[in-house]
Amino acid sequence: MNKKFWYLTKVSLRKKVKSKWFVITNIILAVAIILLLNINSLVTFFGGDFDSKTNIIVIDNNTNSYSLLKQNLESYASSLNDEEDLRISVTESNESLETLEEDLKDDEILIELNSSEDEYLTAEVVSNEKIDTLTYQVISQGLNSTKTSIGMAVNNIDPNVLNNISSPVSITRVALNEENSVDENMGLIMSSVFPTIILPFFMLTMILIQMVGGEICEEKTTRSMEIIISNVSPKQHLMSKILASNIFVILQGVLLVVYTVIGFLISTNMLSNGLALPSDVTSIFDSLVAAGFIEKLVYVIPLTLILIVLSFLAYSIVAGILASMTVNMEDFSQLQTPLVFISLGGYYLAMMAGMFNGSILIRILSYVPFLSSFVSPSLYMMGEIGLVDIIISIVVLILFIYLILHFGIRVYKVGILNYSNEKVWSKFFKAFKSKDV
Amino acid sequence: MLEVKHITKYYGNNRAVDNLSFTVKDGEIFGLLGENGAGKTTTFRIIMGLIEASSGEVLLDGKKIDYSLTDEIGFVTEERSLLTKLTVLEQLKFYGVLKGLDEKLLEKDIDKWLEKFEITSYKNRKIKELSKGNQQKIQFISAIINHPKLLILDEPFTGLDPINVKMMKDAIYDLQKEGCSIIFSSHQMEYIEDFCEKLVILVKGHPVVSGDLKTIKNEFGIKNVMLRGEDLPLDEIEKVKGVISVSKVKGEIEVKVESRDIAPKIFSLVKNSNITKYDVVEPTLNEIFIAKVGGIHE
Repeated sequence: MNKKFWYLTKVSLRKKVKSKWFVITNIILAVAIILLLNINSLVTFFGGDFDSKTNIIVIDNNTNSYSLLKQNLESYASSLNDEEDLRISVTESNESLETLEEDLKDDEILIELNSSEDEYLTAEVVSNEKIDTLTYQVISQGLNSTKTSIGMAVNNIDPNVLNNISSPVSITRVALNEENSVDENMGLIMSSVFPTIILPFFMLTMILIQMVGGEICEEKTTRSMEIIISNVSPKQHLMSKILASNIFVILQGVLLVVYTVIGFLISTNMLSNGLALPSDVTSIFDSLVAAGFIEKLVYVIPLTLILIVLSFLAYSIVAGILASMTVNMEDFSQLQTPLVFISLGGYYLAMMAGMFNGSILIRILSYVPFLSSFVSPSLYMMGEIGLVDIIISIVVLILFIYLILHFGIRVYKVGILNYSNEKVWSKFFKAFKSKDV
Repeated sequence: MLEVKHITKYYGNNRAVDNLSFTVKDGEIFGLLGENGAGKTTTFRIIMGLIEASSGEVLLDGKKIDYSLTDEIGFVTEERSLLTKLTVLEQLKFYGVLKGLDEKLLEKDIDKWLEKFEITSYKNRKIKELSKGNQQKIQFISAIINHPKLLILDEPFTGLDPINVKMMKDAIYDLQKEGCSIIFSSHQMEYIEDFCEKLVILVKGHPVVSGDLKTIKNEFGIKNVMLRGEDLPLDEIEKVKGVISVSKVKGEIEVKVESRDIAPKIFSLVKNSNITKYDVVEPTLNEIFIAKVGGIHE
């Protein structure tokens, strides 16, 4: 690679990074990501109140279970408070339900407790508005536990005996294949978590396709291509566009990570409280370590990064070759559609992988270039494939890149000097077969 | 010196250039003519090394043109080849560095050329904000900024007013004096007549006329006898054997004759009339072009 190649790459990259749209887009992205990660504080700032207390007023009609219910409700609410914001206060009232209903406020819930010969405990729950799911869950669990305790007392059942009856079966899970010794719940987690992680990769792939194609199209339509190609070879020209665009999307990816980290730091007040992780984060981290998730990430992150970079390369080479065949941006927009759909397909496959455990088709597709970077890491995290399979995907991708470069450059050389829409595919296949490069 | 030796180029079954040969010596301006689709652009692309000829070869100073030699060539394409979003300075630097020049030393040269073409004030303006004429000047500067050994000019005067045409002509003559070989293509024949000593006319890729402009005109045969006067015996002139046509052109009578030998017969018919002009002139290149290109089509 000579001086002119590096110069072309530098100019191409500089044009992208120095563009006012890059600056504007990144300001918008940074603000959007940081706000999204701090949406609670934002809503609170504009008048929403996540910390408001729900007042539960209990009318106990001779069941003598108020104290027990209060204890249960507060216990459930506090157990949820680690992850959710649920604050309640429980009080008892001697007034009738009808009287209290007349002046019931929006943040108040009435629970009337009754008992009969058939039921140890019945309850009527009254509120002005619909009760949110979490609060209703706490009320429901509190009432059930109270009823169970009343039943135990009435029937003289030992608490240990009851606990033994109602507790779930203890399962010790053993998978003989060490690679697959993963918590089965991980599949469900991965099917929802991994697509969120790879969404930026999907978006960056779209940007990359547009960027490589757009620039080549621009040089073609302004006819500056002839001057450029008369000074550097088509191969160097294509590679400079690919390199510049790939550096750009990797830079953009790094910036997205930086914005996310800043947003996260702000949301967890780490900027003011020092670098110690909050307790809820460390507890999630501990559970991930226990599930072997982190251990897997240590291997999968470098391999995924290699797959992503190679996929970027493959997408940009194909985008460049397609762009060389078009004569204007409208043509390129149409021609890039299959690439967009392939990439979208990979994204959906990564999402669906969790729903179709053991699917041979999805496993085969995880080796296919363009799809592998989406699907392979996802399948690995779910324990569907091993590290060897990811390495096979990487090797297949490298071979694919070699082939599209080898044959594609022939098409590119002919395409960039073609300004006619006539017999485009015929010219394409003729160039593909030719050895004159 | 540029040597184009028997180049032929096929696109599938279509022969775009057919056995074309010519030589452009150092300091010579050569005309490449032809109607649209005659094979001029293909010839330029072969010379620039953008496409391979099916047969034949192109040599610059005895060496086959490849990427080690293209730094020595300047190319003004028929359509403007400028990246319109760049500023004038960025554009000229971009093409300059691609021609192998040092980016840091380039700005001085750029300033000199911008001053010469009286567009210094546009240095930091975007290309798309410039008029067509000024864009053409930028394209021309970008082609000559490397002081090329070979300069290819495809319709270089498009969009220029007479003052700017003169400015560019002067620059071309300066390059000629420096020993630059220049290939010139234009649909405006007066420019070719003005510039070129040698030329080739292509019809469907095949050279139908080739050589020295003076010789071409002599060998063409048909001459024009220009007459101005009163009571000219036009009917009798028309009847003379060898007279092709008699017509009125800009207040004068133009008599087209098959050869110079016919001219004395015309003179003997008009000598007793009150004539103020009698002149035997060479045919214009335009006439030769129409006769050769149009004739073949007929």
